[in-house]
Amino acid sequence: MDHRRISFLLAVIWTIVAVLPLFFGGTNFIMHILIMCLIWSVVASCWDLIMGFAGIFSFGQVAFFVMGSYASAIISAQFGIPPIFAVFIAGGITAGIGILVGLPCLKLKGAYIALVTFAVHMILEPVLKGEIGRAIGTGGTRGLLTIEPMTIFGYTFSTASPVPYFYLMLLVAVICSVIILVVIKSHWGTAFLALKDSQEFAACLGVSAFKYKLMVFALTSFLTGMMGGFYAHYVGMLSTRMLGIDLFVTLMVILVIGGVGKFPGAIIGAFITIAINELLSPLGPYRPITMGAMVVILVLVLPDGIVGLFERLFSKKPHDITH
Amino acid sequence: MIKLTDVNACYQDFHVLKNVSLAVEKGQIVVMLGPNGHGKSTVLKAICGLVKKVSGLIRFEGENITGLGSEKLVDMGITYIAENRELFPQMSVLENLKLGAYSRSARAFEKKNLEKVFDLFPRLRDRQSQLASTMSGGEARMLAIARGLMSNARFLAIDEPSLGLQPNLRDEVAKIIKQINGQGITLLVVEQNIPQITELADTLYVLEEGRISFEGSKEDALGNDHLKEIFLGM
Amino acid sequence: MVIEIADVIISGLINGSVYALMAVGLTLIYGVSKAFNFAYGSFYSLGGYIAFLLFGLSFINNYFLVFLLAAPILLVFGFFVEKVLVAPLRKRDDWEIKVMMITLGLALFLDNSFQVIFGSRMKSLPPFLEGGFEGGNFYLSHQDVGIFFLSIGGILLFRWFLNNTRTGMSVRAVAQNPAGAQIVGIPKEFVFAATFAISTVMVGMGGILLAQKYFITPMGGWDILVKAWVITAFGGMGSIRGGLYAAFIVGMLEAFVGWYFGMTWTLIVLFAVLLTTLAVRPQGLLGKWG
Repeated sequence: MDHRRISFLLAVIWTIVAVLPLFFGGTNFIMHILIMCLIWSVVASCWDLIMGFAGIFSFGQVAFFVMGSYASAIISAQFGIPPIFAVFIAGGITAGIGILVGLPCLKLKGAYIALVTFAVHMILEPVLKGEIGRAIGTGGTRGLLTIEPMTIFGYTFSTASPVPYFYLMLLVAVICSVIILVVIKSHWGTAFLALKDSQEFAACLGVSAFKYKLMVFALTSFLTGMMGGFYAHYVGMLSTRMLGIDLFVTLMVILVIGGVGKFPGAIIGAFITIAINELLSPLGPYRPITMGAMVVILVLVLPDGIVGLFERLFSKKPHDITH
Repeated sequence: MIKLTDVNACYQDFHVLKNVSLAVEKGQIVVMLGPNGHGKSTVLKAICGLVKKVSGLIRFEGENITGLGSEKLVDMGITYIAENRELFPQMSVLENLKLGAYSRSARAFEKKNLEKVFDLFPRLRDRQSQLASTMSGGEARMLAIARGLMSNARFLAIDEPSLGLQPNLRDEVAKIIKQINGQGITLLVVEQNIPQITELADTLYVLEEGRISFEGSKEDALGNDHLKEIFLGM
Repeated sequence: MVIEIADVIISGLINGSVYALMAVGLTLIYGVSKAFNFAYGSFYSLGGYIAFLLFGLSFINNYFLVFLLAAPILLVFGFFVEKVLVAPLRKRDDWEIKVMMITLGLALFLDNSFQVIFGSRMKSLPPFLEGGFEGGNFYLSHQDVGIFFLSIGGILLFRWFLNNTRTGMSVRAVAQNPAGAQIVGIPKEFVFAATFAISTVMVGMGGILLAQKYFITPMGGWDILVKAWVITAFGGMGSIRGGLYAAFIVGMLEAFVGWYFGMTWTLIVLFAVLLTTLAVRPQGLLGKWG
């Protein structure tokens, strides 16, 4: 899709989302879900940017999210930094770790990158729970139970009235989506298209695969870590349960539904997935089975997700950013 | 034996062959010349079921084989021998040859064809257990041809058999092509203008920019000025 | 002290042998078809659960029968999964990501189905050999010895298959040169499905072999997937010989680290070793088809 179409779609999506509190503002439960949708939409879009766009099989997204959330909580608790700044610092820390991880592993091929980034995810749990974790204030196996709520200019956001936080998150999500759009349509974007087609040929043209991949890795780690911070200060507590397989799978389902490499599919996917997740909760233990079956069917039937479906319906020559 | 009528083919989104028509009669050696990158390999590959996007009509002994895959075609007796040879590097010469006889129809004749092939290429018999990746260019080329013969093929499409070979080896290749043909196998050979090979041709084709620009015998070719340009230009 | 170390070495060898069986399966799929099966861990559990069900049948009372029946079930299942879920995705862009996604969905489906059908409590299988070798403080169960030899046997059987059967040779051919395989008339799609099926049998058998020691749980497969993955990457994706060496190295390393530092450190050490190896040799120890 050309950037005009994407911008238009983004504007439509965000406008619809923005007016939702008019209908659901009274129900805290629904507002809570919408806030989570906003947070995941950014995290999923970052993952989409890495996987579908830059072609890096990174499985570290959840790990970076958790890192960011712990970092922000610890910074605000131990250094007394207001949460609004803590989240950005946390984003920076996560970006730094992202670069550290990216430096060795972006030189590897496909499945190896997946393994290394997944390794980061697997190692994070024992590190956070263990001695190192307790030393820096992660609360070990107990996790963190009291995290400072977000305060801006003296106003404290609380879970009791989630609507203001919803708008804060909406603002953050819109800004992040614009950043991602700019990356896609900038010369970075053309560089990635060239890289995806043929790494060797692009190298001849002077396109440094490594440099661009590292930058995208850093950017997405920053945004993801930052969103982790926003999550921490909203929910008020953290535990390493987030590192379980559920979150990982949820993110993947979001990309399946939204379409990999079809920005802003991830945003649409986030809302739909979380909504479906909620709708299916009466199924209890049958819910994950249904989700699993859904993923399988969707990948076969709608391989490019919902956005891909629209592309095929509304254009004769579907042009997506991966071509 | 093989007849192409108005065949179009696309290879990796590029429209390579444009309304190509040619015929190879049973028992003939037909040579196809032409500048590089103009589709000569694609013609061979299309006949042998290695190109996905093919339209038009390809017939083998009257039967329509357009769009069939290589598995079926090798079984029917049509085999491609690649210019890159495409051998199995970590396997021995013997294993490569055995795999040449993979198709059902070739399996029954594996032992017989192995003997035939070793008679034709005595050097391969000596190097039976050698890994294919350690072979020299010429030996690898021989192995590729030998492996093709193991499929009990009645029609062989050979892609640039002399590529990269020294002149004395080219003579050997020409000799082998003549011998194979002598055993009753029909050949369509793509080559640069190698006199030893074009000498053997019953018919010559020239492919330029995906189209047949010349069809005729060697004598016709000699009298054609445009062709002389191409030959000298190459 | 000596006995403790001997115990550790033996434990490492035994685990290593089963890991070898499973790592070879994973490296096989990758080497031949470049696909990554995220449901590999679930297939491991599947093997265990199939064995569990079979033992529930009155006429099944020994492992020989269980293996005999489980193998074809796993084979057909794997073949079916590849044909229906993986093969259709090959034509699409980003098919590797899509294969990961669909196998992840399958894993989710299977694991939670196991949970619903069998409950989340551990299931165990009856031991197939009783008793053991004793010598002072030293004890080596017949069971463990049996597992070791069965795993090695499985690997040798697989090696024989690769070198001496037509299908086996076609598998090697596709892995070494897919273009060449096509030229020779080898049906690539069948080979892809066959290798997937074989790897399913291998990891399922691993599940049955280790079920007596480590029990069967619905989510138990993920550890196996990660381990198999680490071993495969360490040894070089696509290299069978590499996978074998790596499996035993990892088995021993795990045993020693677990004994000396405690089980929580094993994963960290494993990954540290993997990362340093990849930094020096990005293709793993023997990264190439071997």
